[in-house]
Amino acid sequence: MFLVRRRAPSSLRALSGGFKRCVSQQQGDEKQHSNDAKYLSTQTPIFKIFAISSAFLSLGFALGFVLADKKDSTSSTTKLKDLKPLVYASKDRVSYALSKIAKIVGDEKITVMDSELKLHSQDPSKFIQAKTGEKPYAVVYPTTIEEVSKVVKVCYDACIPVIPYSGGTSIEGHYIPTRKGISIDVSRMDKILDIHKDDLDVIVQPGVEWSYLNEELEPYGLMFGPDPAPGALIGGILGTNASGTNAVRYGAAKDNILSLKVVLADGTVIKTRQRPRKSSNGYNLTNLFVGSEGTLGIIVEATLKLHVKPQNEVITMMNFKEIGDASRAVTELFKNGISCNAVEFMDNRQMTAVVEMGTGGEHKWSSDHLLLLKLSAVDDSALNSILSRVEDVGKNNNAFNIQVAKDKEEMEDIWRVRKTLLWNSLGWAKKFKPNAMVLPTDVCVPMSRLPELITKTMEKMEKADLLATAAGHAGDGNVHVLVIFEPEQVAEAHRIINEMSTMAIELDGTVSGEHGIGVSEKRELLEKELGTDTIDLMRTIKFALDKKAIFNPDHIFKIDPSEKRHPFDDQ
Amino acid sequence: MARSKLLSLWQLSKTAAAPGAGTRRFATSIPRWNEAKTAQPGKETANGNDKGGEKNENEDKKKGGFGQSILANTAILVFGALIGTSWASFNLCKEPPEFLFPHTSTLPLASTLSPLYGDSKLVIEELKGFLKEDQVSEAKDDINNHSDSFFSTDHPTPDEHPDAVVYPETTEQVSQIMQAAHKHHVPIVPFTGGTSLEGHYITTRRGICLDMSRMNKIVALHKEDLDIVVQPGVGWEDLRDYLQPLGLIFGPDPGPGAAIGGMCGTSCSGTNAARYGTMRENVVSLTVVLADGTVVKTRRRPRKTAAGYNLTNLFVGSEGTLGVVTEATLKLNVLPKFENVAVVSFPSMSDAADAVAKVVQSGVQFNAMELLDAQMMKFVNESGSVTKNYDEKPTLMFKLGGNSIKVADSITNDIKDICNECHCGKKNFRFASSDEEKEELWTARKVALWSTIDAGREVYGEDAQVWTTDVAVPISKLVQSLVDTRKILDDEKMMSSIVSHAGDGNYHTFIVYPKKDHDRVRQVVQHMVTRALELDGTVTGEHGVGIGKREYLREELGDVGVNVMRKIKFALDPLLILNPDKVIQVDPEEKKK
Repeated sequence: MFLVRRRAPSSLRALSGGFKRCVSQQQGDEKQHSNDAKYLSTQTPIFKIFAISSAFLSLGFALGFVLADKKDSTSSTTKLKDLKPLVYASKDRVSYALSKIAKIVGDEKITVMDSELKLHSQDPSKFIQAKTGEKPYAVVYPTTIEEVSKVVKVCYDACIPVIPYSGGTSIEGHYIPTRKGISIDVSRMDKILDIHKDDLDVIVQPGVEWSYLNEELEPYGLMFGPDPAPGALIGGILGTNASGTNAVRYGAAKDNILSLKVVLADGTVIKTRQRPRKSSNGYNLTNLFVGSEGTLGIIVEATLKLHVKPQNEVITMMNFKEIGDASRAVTELFKNGISCNAVEFMDNRQMTAVVEMGTGGEHKWSSDHLLLLKLSAVDDSALNSILSRVEDVGKNNNAFNIQVAKDKEEMEDIWRVRKTLLWNSLGWAKKFKPNAMVLPTDVCVPMSRLPELITKTMEKMEKADLLATAAGHAGDGNVHVLVIFEPEQVAEAHRIINEMSTMAIELDGTVSGEHGIGVSEKRELLEKELGTDTIDLMRTIKFALDKKAIFNPDHIFKIDPSEKRHPFDDQ
Repeated sequence: MARSKLLSLWQLSKTAAAPGAGTRRFATSIPRWNEAKTAQPGKETANGNDKGGEKNENEDKKKGGFGQSILANTAILVFGALIGTSWASFNLCKEPPEFLFPHTSTLPLASTLSPLYGDSKLVIEELKGFLKEDQVSEAKDDINNHSDSFFSTDHPTPDEHPDAVVYPETTEQVSQIMQAAHKHHVPIVPFTGGTSLEGHYITTRRGICLDMSRMNKIVALHKEDLDIVVQPGVGWEDLRDYLQPLGLIFGPDPGPGAAIGGMCGTSCSGTNAARYGTMRENVVSLTVVLADGTVVKTRRRPRKTAAGYNLTNLFVGSEGTLGVVTEATLKLNVLPKFENVAVVSFPSMSDAADAVAKVVQSGVQFNAMELLDAQMMKFVNESGSVTKNYDEKPTLMFKLGGNSIKVADSITNDIKDICNECHCGKKNFRFASSDEEKEELWTARKVALWSTIDAGREVYGEDAQVWTTDVAVPISKLVQSLVDTRKILDDEKMMSSIVSHAGDGNYHTFIVYPKKDHDRVRQVVQHMVTRALELDGTVTGEHGVGIGKREYLREELGDVGVNVMRKIKFALDPLLILNPDKVIQVDPEEKKK
């Protein structure tokens, strides 16, 4: 502030200096005639000029201040229409910044190879397409926190977008560089730093794969809760607040995290907590960054909560003719206080796909709605009492084919069917429609509303002549309907998926249970779900922490009023 | 930061543009200049002869003509320059250049300005316009009830009390109140149960206390979905009594009297936290009124979501500094059908803490595990709230249960084995024999703070003060931390008791002391806090920061962490009207008590 004051008048002072010289010449002449003239000219006019100029100066300041951000200077939300279009660094600045980054990380950790750039602009499934030109300038592979911080600082100074990248398994276009920028791939930061087996926590870098982590934890009898798609790394899991089949027991990523180290937009590194199991010390920054999809900072280290791996685990399977029955069975289980480690649902079409593809291993599958339950207890007698309760509940709700798998290999086979479901359906679809395209969805509603959602959606799909399978984490009310269609049906498919999401909102649910928002159509749906004011509040937080909007711009919500990116229109 | 600097600029420009500064000086300078000019010829004539006077006049004309043309030119130049300058300054303010106002992600205290607040009376008048008469109270009793409590660690100065207490009844009213307060820059301090311990509701800047106790309705219960929508004034005990017949339970169980609003504010927990989690795991969605009166709903009510920022958990634990909670959707759990309450006494603190660590590491699912030290057991016995006399030894209290007797029994057996391993002795593992005893035991644990205060009053009389600490450390460090703490307290000969939510490594020390010992206690507590931080712990597991622990927060997270929080605070509440001075310091010139 003081700089402003000094700087602005300095030009003025030079001006007035010139003027003073003029006047003093005049004074010099006058001096001969009057001594008083000196008093007049040196003091008063200068004083006057100073007064006038300061009046002008303050007027300028006042006007500027009043007109600048009168609208939002004291408000708690940031409206999209009050923002200006985003401007990022020019090509020259980028290449200068790149040379600086290369110096920081070394040549072997930065690449501009086309194949790498492509890999870091969209996922191979192409559910959300990157548009032409949406490629990063370069990919950087830092290995230390310091490197990440320095690279981010360079990008911040030059105003270049930064797109964090870890496993690349997201399907909502989370790492599409809509404004180009630099992709920071943390997959080389892949160390497990410290396992505290006595405290049930572990400190990891963001590039650790969750299944690798679980393998490492196996000898200690411990596990990490969330189990998203294979290949997902911790950084991305936390970024999207992912979960998986275990969420019903252990919660989503947000419930399994104790502390984070995050690099902020200006390169500052913060640690959000130490590692006690609970803390109410100040704002919950940890959970602010979890689920922020890389728009607020880059996660460079995480302390994760661990769980003792359940002993005596079995899988119970039961078939249903009606979706409603299956859902009622789940509700009844919960009401009975039976805590399941996983509650998975696969509908009859999904099961048909499994049966027809023959991917189910040795197990004999039936093509009816299927409910899979993972159950465990401290010892056999307790387990048996739980199992008999479960069977009762199933029978009450018209379940048939109730089976229990206790053998470890058998269990793995069964669970593999659930885990590889997406690829299974894809293969199945290709059998009928060789050109078939698929679109996954990810809505989540309160449990009691789930049957309504699935039934209505399926009706719509049928009407529109689209093939669809449903599978979900029934315990959380989270369902993935997989839509299979011919390329020419694409508009229709999107229309129905949007209708389904809108329905989920009306049923008090959410448009994304675990996949996140990214740059997909869900950005608009999210506004519908939460209301414009809530999105405006998120925008305030975004700009508070990242004023230049360098972190993963355009994701989750719009930050540029002029942006018209539509995920499925070509250009 | 830019915004606060702009504020300062604005203040500067306000003073500069004020009629006293530039213009008046300018105005006074004109006559003086004119006077001097007119005086000049008069002087000349008085002094010199006629000839000289003429000569002078001629020369004057000549030079004056020359001077005038220069003057005219420079005047144009100067005028142009002035316009230019004001244009430049206009732009400077409209879009502050980045090299002057860097867009950092943190906001250090040094770059903020002392907040300025308006007159509460204006707001109170405005509120009386749209609220019922009994909703705005300026009665002394009301004001005193909303300023302090005897069990709080921090107490307000005599000057720190609200100017009025307002009782809103709907979210719209809260929004209107916030709009009025925002317009007049008047601080608002939300208040629900008033059971917080860290001076959360001390009105450091006067202003208005927003008592949410009239918003105490249960809005909707969704039994099938295991969630419930409530208003912030609902007390957790009322909620418990409402849910119990339905076989449901809401996890967090803090001190008696706490209400949902405050529980969200401090992210509290209680004895059930190890099983059901703290507030942050149990709140599905919040309706919040922001500083400018905007009403936002953070979620609908899905069990899980990955859609957008986790605003719910930003407000949970923000202690009323970011917004006022007006409605909350809470997760419910199913009440265990069979539950045993076990009381186990151990020969030493380290044995008890050892048992805790082993139980947690074994993964056996207990519903609650509380640790009370020997001193605490003594106070419990003395308090008269229990009918039986318990061993005055370090004691673990368990809630063990499940959906069938078999499950409950096998869990109990596992726990028994572990306790035996830790030298509890078979005789010392006993169950509460009746439902009454279960209830009694748990109540005894719940009123631990009050029993300690009562014991303190016996010794020190009404002068007795209590200092509550709230440290949490990783489970494996619990033994060391507890033993250390006990040693420090014994060395200092402090009257104190320790209770612990052992399942999550959280424990409280209640220190009772006469007023004069305040500084000595502060030192002891500081020592304990430093030790906890060294052990990778936190200085507050469930009570929150309030005004008393801000310094500890800084010690735990470092300046950078606090600066990020400050950045968020200033973004959401630029006028700093929501519960000022809590959680983080917002005023660089704040007076130290």
